[in-house]
Amino acid sequence: MSAETLLIEGLDGRGRAQWCQRFTLGEDRRTLTIGRSIHADVTLDDPYAAALHASLEIGPDGEILANDLGSMNGLIVRGKRYRNAGVVTLADNILQVGRTRLRIRTRHELLEPERPDDLRPVSLLRHPAWLAGFAALAGSAQLIYAKWLAAPRDLAEGIVTSLGVAILTICAWVAVWALLSRVMQGEWRWPRHAAICLGVVASLVAVVGLVDLGWFVFALPPWNSRSAWIGAIALGCALYLHLTHASSLTAGRAAQIACVVPLLLALGSQWLQERYRVRDVNHIGARMRIYPPSLRLRGSETVEDYFKSAATLRTLADKRLIDALANDPAYDDK
Amino acid sequence: MMAGMHRLALLVLIAAGAPMAAMAQVSATRHSAVDAAASQGAREVLAQVRPAVIQIKSFFGSNTAQASHGTGFAVAEGGVFMTNYHVVAEKVQHPDKYRLEYRTAGGDTGAIAVLAVDVRHDLAVVRASGYAPAPLRLEATPPAKGERAYAVGFPLDVGLTITEGISNGKIDDAFEARIHYSGALNAGMSGGPALNAAGEVIGINVAGYRFEQLVSFLVPAARAEALLRARSVDPEPAADLKKEIAAQLHAHSADLFAALEGPMQTQAVSGYSLPAKLAPFINCNAYGEPMTDDPVQTVRINCFAKAGLFLQRGLSSGDLRYSHYVLSTDKLDAWRFANRFSGLTLAVGNFGSHRHVGPYACEDRVVGLKGFDASVLVCARRYRRFENFYDFTVRVSSLNGAHRGFASHLDMYGVEFEAGMKFIRRYVEVMEWRP
Repeated sequence: MSAETLLIEGLDGRGRAQWCQRFTLGEDRRTLTIGRSIHADVTLDDPYAAALHASLEIGPDGEILANDLGSMNGLIVRGKRYRNAGVVTLADNILQVGRTRLRIRTRHELLEPERPDDLRPVSLLRHPAWLAGFAALAGSAQLIYAKWLAAPRDLAEGIVTSLGVAILTICAWVAVWALLSRVMQGEWRWPRHAAICLGVVASLVAVVGLVDLGWFVFALPPWNSRSAWIGAIALGCALYLHLTHASSLTAGRAAQIACVVPLLLALGSQWLQERYRVRDVNHIGARMRIYPPSLRLRGSETVEDYFKSAATLRTLADKRLIDALANDPAYDDK
Repeated sequence: MMAGMHRLALLVLIAAGAPMAAMAQVSATRHSAVDAAASQGAREVLAQVRPAVIQIKSFFGSNTAQASHGTGFAVAEGGVFMTNYHVVAEKVQHPDKYRLEYRTAGGDTGAIAVLAVDVRHDLAVVRASGYAPAPLRLEATPPAKGERAYAVGFPLDVGLTITEGISNGKIDDAFEARIHYSGALNAGMSGGPALNAAGEVIGINVAGYRFEQLVSFLVPAARAEALLRARSVDPEPAADLKKEIAAQLHAHSADLFAALEGPMQTQAVSGYSLPAKLAPFINCNAYGEPMTDDPVQTVRINCFAKAGLFLQRGLSSGDLRYSHYVLSTDKLDAWRFANRFSGLTLAVGNFGSHRHVGPYACEDRVVGLKGFDASVLVCARRYRRFENFYDFTVRVSSLNGAHRGFASHLDMYGVEFEAGMKFIRRYVEVMEWRP
């Protein structure tokens, strides 16, 4: 038998190697033992493994053969437990001993081709400290502008208070993600999470402001929940970026979470608002924010047309009452 | 009844205050000769009407503790009494949930049935089982200003009480007829008789201002006579009081808008021509900020019709009010002024309960008015129990000035849809920009 090299990898819950050991099997050494004892070739820190639990060897065709050495818990291969079952062939090179999953790699294994690295957020966040600084400046500028609009009374006090609250909130948010990064990835990644948080917040404020302005400029019909949906999209972006940098989730899985969580939140909040609206008979809804009239690009309609449309309010109000009664069975109208 | 207590509750609190009680004592000592004569008149009047006055109590379900109470007095043979509609409103609106009882000054009790109501004048005719005293005489001719008058009732459940005051005659500009009585009316006296020195009924106690001193109101006896005449056609309890009430509400709504017909009066503020006092019964007040430390100068004009009818607890109808907020600045730029102006355009609806009205349906668009564009919001919500009655909330915000603008708020309660929309259109169309 020619010499054969084996790489034994201990896997974590997501199938990633946590440690590995290399062995060479040949004429002088045909098997490899695994167990809790120091006499085993591969020593496991696993209370569910026997002192000498299993042995491994290479078959004539290069396949890996495992043998239970009389352990209490046996071997688990492809989800099936084998106790004193003799030699078992490892079809996918994965073997569970006790509660430790091992991957045995040989020179016969087929490797997938190298994946292209097109993970854009990494390139986007190549200089996270700069990005965080720029986003912080942009966000602060918008906040100061909003305070300035409501000026002039107590401008400095308003700015300091708002900035203080914003900084504390952002710090708390970043700290949560940094802690997650430390646990999952072994790195704090403060600048990266700060850049993500500040960048998304600054973009959110800018987009909401621009959409409000657009609504006024083009005199669009009211849409009460538009800010909530923009907020949900921003939360989705933030979640995706934080998850891909704080956890070992794949980009696809992070994208799924980043879509599902904000969508559920937005739908849930819209459902609650709708229920609240149906029951709150004094609710009217958000109105168009007013900007300098010279910005308006769309003309007005005539009084005649407006009141022609407004005549339908009777049908709408009747329908809302019927819906409210249907949605509020606790109320006895008789 | 509860509403009656509620309306008069603050007067009761004021009367109970120690400093006020001390002042009253001083006053009585100083004018003891006058008061002795007056008190004799009150004693005679009270002795004369005492058997004819009853306390009317309302009970929720089978409770023995009362929910609210008011007063009534005999107006016809056979145990027929007059009281306020608001004393029996809960029984009328929820006949299965409430019951009514009377209690005489002598302590006798019995059941009460509602025969007829007049919500426009807050009156109700009831029949007491097993108690039929001689009726009091109604004096339909309104008393002259300055005549001595007395009000009788059961305030705060402390027993039969008479208060003494002055009749100030009919109020000139009230939408529904009322007599101004300068005397104390406290919670529980609602529905009791107001009398002249001869012991004739000149009016029915109905309400009083909470923060004022002895400004109280009576329903003229002529209205009670009219209701009695209408009831005499049908001596049995009305088959469906709610239908009767709905018909009265329609009549009130029609009369309200008829009174608002004709060319709409306007007033000019900062170049805008806006609806002014639209009828004699509408009260308007205008306020401004004389100090110049605020970069935005605001003129606020509030107008109230005070034509509302009490229907039941938490529900009034047939009323309107409007306000204009006119803003101008020579210190703020267009962006900051627009931001400040935005705060005024936000819409908050009338206060209402889901037990009485449905949710609002709104139309919010930019409309070209005379000489300027404005954002116009009209919202309507339907009453649950009354067909074709709606609340309206209207918000008009001008969109033509970088440094000036107005926001006008119009609220209408319990009016018919077509009449309401017609009035809103007139209200909006009369607005004009005349720099």
